[in-house]
Amino acid sequence: MKKRTLALLLSASMVVGLLAGCGPKDPDPSQNPNPPVGDQETQKPENNPPVENLTAVQKIIKEAEGMTWEELAAKAIEESNGKTFYGVGNSSRGKSALPLFIDALKAIDPSYDMTFEWQQPKNNKIFDQLTADGLKDTGTFAMTLIQDGNQIESKMVQTGVLDTFIPKAWADANGTTADAVTGYLPLQTLNKVFMYNNQGSKTYTNCWDFVAEGEHGLFMDIDSEIVGKNFLYMLTREDYATWLKDAFEALPADKQSQFQGTIDAMASDASDLGLGANGKYALAWIKLWVESYAAQTDDGPICNTLVAKSAADQFGLLVYSKLRSVEESAEVSKNNINVAAYDDGYQGIGGYGYCHYLFVTDNSPLPWTACAFIYYMTCTADGFSAWGKDMGGYSSNPNVAAETEETYHHSIGGMSEDGTTVEFECKNDRGYDWWTGEGKLVLEDPEYCASVAFTVGSWIEMLTKYAG
Amino acid sequence: MNDRAGPNRSAIFLNKLKTYFSQPYNVILLLFGVVVTVTTIAPIVAIMKDTFSIHPGTIDQHLTGMTSGYTTVNYIDLFTGQMAKANLWTPLWNTVLLAVGTCVVAILFGGLVAFLVTRTNMAWRKYISSIFIFPYIMPQWTLAVVWQNLFNSNAVTHTSNGLLASLFGINMPSWWCQGLFPSLMVLGLHYAPFAYILIGGIFRNMDANLEEAATILDTPRWKIAFRVTLPMVKPAILSTILLVFGSAMGSYPVPHYLGLTTLSTKYVSMNSNRTGEASILAIIMMIFGVAIMLLNQMSLKSRKSYTTVTGKSGQISKVNLGKVGKYIVALALVVVTFFTSIFPIVSFAFETFLPNPGDYSFLYTGDPKNLTTKWWTTDENVSENGMYGQKGILHNEAIWKAFRGTMLVSIACSLIAGTIGTLIGYAVSKNRRGRWANYVYNMAFLPYLMPSIAVGAAFFILFSNEHINLFNTYTLLIITGVIKYIPFASRTSLNSMLQLSGEIEEAAIIQNVPWIKRMTRIIIPIQKSSIISGFMLPFMTCLRELSLFLLLCTQGFILSTTLDYFDEMGLYAFSSGINLILIVTILVFNTLVNKLTGASLDEGIGG
Repeated sequence: MKKRTLALLLSASMVVGLLAGCGPKDPDPSQNPNPPVGDQETQKPENNPPVENLTAVQKIIKEAEGMTWEELAAKAIEESNGKTFYGVGNSSRGKSALPLFIDALKAIDPSYDMTFEWQQPKNNKIFDQLTADGLKDTGTFAMTLIQDGNQIESKMVQTGVLDTFIPKAWADANGTTADAVTGYLPLQTLNKVFMYNNQGSKTYTNCWDFVAEGEHGLFMDIDSEIVGKNFLYMLTREDYATWLKDAFEALPADKQSQFQGTIDAMASDASDLGLGANGKYALAWIKLWVESYAAQTDDGPICNTLVAKSAADQFGLLVYSKLRSVEESAEVSKNNINVAAYDDGYQGIGGYGYCHYLFVTDNSPLPWTACAFIYYMTCTADGFSAWGKDMGGYSSNPNVAAETEETYHHSIGGMSEDGTTVEFECKNDRGYDWWTGEGKLVLEDPEYCASVAFTVGSWIEMLTKYAG
Repeated sequence: MNDRAGPNRSAIFLNKLKTYFSQPYNVILLLFGVVVTVTTIAPIVAIMKDTFSIHPGTIDQHLTGMTSGYTTVNYIDLFTGQMAKANLWTPLWNTVLLAVGTCVVAILFGGLVAFLVTRTNMAWRKYISSIFIFPYIMPQWTLAVVWQNLFNSNAVTHTSNGLLASLFGINMPSWWCQGLFPSLMVLGLHYAPFAYILIGGIFRNMDANLEEAATILDTPRWKIAFRVTLPMVKPAILSTILLVFGSAMGSYPVPHYLGLTTLSTKYVSMNSNRTGEASILAIIMMIFGVAIMLLNQMSLKSRKSYTTVTGKSGQISKVNLGKVGKYIVALALVVVTFFTSIFPIVSFAFETFLPNPGDYSFLYTGDPKNLTTKWWTTDENVSENGMYGQKGILHNEAIWKAFRGTMLVSIACSLIAGTIGTLIGYAVSKNRRGRWANYVYNMAFLPYLMPSIAVGAAFFILFSNEHINLFNTYTLLIITGVIKYIPFASRTSLNSMLQLSGEIEEAAIIQNVPWIKRMTRIIIPIQKSSIISGFMLPFMTCLRELSLFLLLCTQGFILSTTLDYFDEMGLYAFSSGINLILIVTILVFNTLVNKLTGASLDEGIGG
């Protein structure tokens, strides 16, 4: 009570001192935030607002959504020839895709030229950067490639900082239309999967093994990469919680008894948080995971650790594509690890899938060019090649995904040159369909994440990881 | 009649004004007084305002149901919510312990070495003196990485084995590997050169007669140490605390790497979903900065001076460590400084030739195939050879662009902060007792005492609005760097100006020598060494600054953020290569300045 009084007094004195000069605030347009947008199968709330209510960039997007590549490219050439294009994204590979895009436009008009700058902020700064840029009449950034559906929803879309553009060819390939598509435009789905070092005696045959007593998985700190937190939020959705329940029931009785107490203890919390019938399994798994994982700064160090011979019996949850960059040596080999979900008889979730989404900024200085670039990345294999050349990233366009597989053969990426001998089992990427089916990949749903961010989210923050 | 007899008030006022502004130091004080007031207060006001603002998508929106406007809910939730312990009280306690512990380690270690180098006959003093400063040259978290590489183990930290575990099977306990202890040790070692130079300076210049007099009076050695030596060193200790406490408090990378939750790390982690509450943490850190300044003011008022009242000796005696002892003590320091100064550099260099980060196959196979030059020489953007799509350091445009950016920011900060600081120091020395002069000096010093991460946060908020948006521009980095580093120059300048007799300048004034000429021909040449230190320190600090710039730009913009990015990504070959580039750059500049002017870095740290 004393603390509350102190806080109120402190706040009051600061308010008086500071806000006196702030002037009257604008009428609050925000009392009632927009409800979260739906996932890709449902209608986006502002899908078809009257044209007169659209911003200038939204009007361009509307027009661009009906255009072919050639039409859009012509607009982009007209708009950005001789100019500089600024993009910002969570993936550094936007920088590799832009020169290919410029070449594609040059193929149409050889006199075309555009310089570019691609920024990749870390530690969640992309949201601050876009928010700050969004305050200007004309922004610096033309578009963004961004992850973390939860924050995108609450900080970028509801606030009108970013707009979604659905390329015609992408909609066609997915058997839909731009108007019917809701939610955001994903460039690709990335997967973080459970991998373990096989140089020791341990095996992990069930996702509950990763949270057993004495286990400490290597995982990027959920406070520095928020999509990790989204993974935990998603586990509480009833369908994924049921996966956890099924996996639990597949455990032998002695192992079940290790977890039963924790699961039972979570029942009331699950009820308080409004979770479904199997929510207690999700909360128990989350609690055990959060209180045991060894936080790392990035997936890179996790991969470096796991592939070393000396890392016997260690495991982690990390981006699958990190395996692409391991060089064989006396100490290090890709054969020192197993992808848990690839093991025969493995039960339960195999990992977590999240998307890189593409947006045009609502104050984009080059909206036509931004739309054309997004079109190029999502509708052509060349445009996607910056990501597609490596395993573990799956284009959201089925045509591009098929062409990428045809070009790069990721499904047999671990075979030796003769094509029959398995050289690196872990590098034979089984593809998006396998991962989201048999591989039991937990997929991010921005709407669900946003809805539980301050309920399940606050519950997670109360766990002992945060106590010290 | 009255008009003629009575004083013409406006004429008197104008005359007073004219007299006031005829003194260049008054003009400097007025001008920079306004500048430092605005540049210090405006960010504080901006961040305070942010603590009341509602941020879409964060806890304040959730609690108030609004997406804009103002509220006190951030204060209420932070201080009294169910997360208060985890988000405020525990990080606050850890931060205080870290700052105090860092001061203790820095003073004990730096002070001991300073004593051994200046007041004993220890062997290899010159070598130890030069090598001791290296940890300060390197970015602070590089020692944290070295600490991890030495002591981490699969059994305790659940990561790959460090050197001790893999070579000798020794698993250090958890408290040694992660948390408060390693954080304060690493920061203490990083800031020990501050204490070394400040305390060493006093040891070197102190009047040995005081101790000699005590000896003549047959005072026991311990009593001399506590009643004579220590009081004389006290100002240097206070200065060290002044400089180190705020810096340790605001350090982000070291506690981040070593797993300690402090206000800085909490600020960064809370910034995504508790933005307003994170700003309150920054305010709390700033309050500590102000408190430290007030304590310093109090200590200045109570400083005593000493004089001898008995027979004096002209000899300066050094403690004799003995024929063997002087080598044993020196050897111990050589070993310690090897791990704090040499080993990191050797390991950085070695890391750039490993096939995979942390892959030491070569050490036990002896096979040169387990070494590579790819991290330096790869000139294609390929990912198949384990370089994550990066070109080698020599061909990596991103690294060299960041290097150019760092040089631009460092040189600009050095020149601007050095010049402003020197002028402020000069002006304050001319008007030492004036209230305004003291205000200007303290206001200029305040940003240095505020934790870097809080200053960075305040400048980010101040310059990210619809009118001015300077995020990710060199302009913002330079402005912030200048404000933060003016104290380096103002402090060294003031200290040196106070040593300068006023008569020298007065003689020139009598000869009608203009002010500019007096400065450039008399004052600056006399105090050249200290003034150059005032320019070199901002340069060097800026070169490897991370906490201050972390929130102000993206990685790849300057070298320290690029280095941190590669370290976080686990691409240690790149981060090690960048570390080497930084160290070489600092050493080259230091040597160059030393050769050209005779001044050197270690003469002026902290004034």
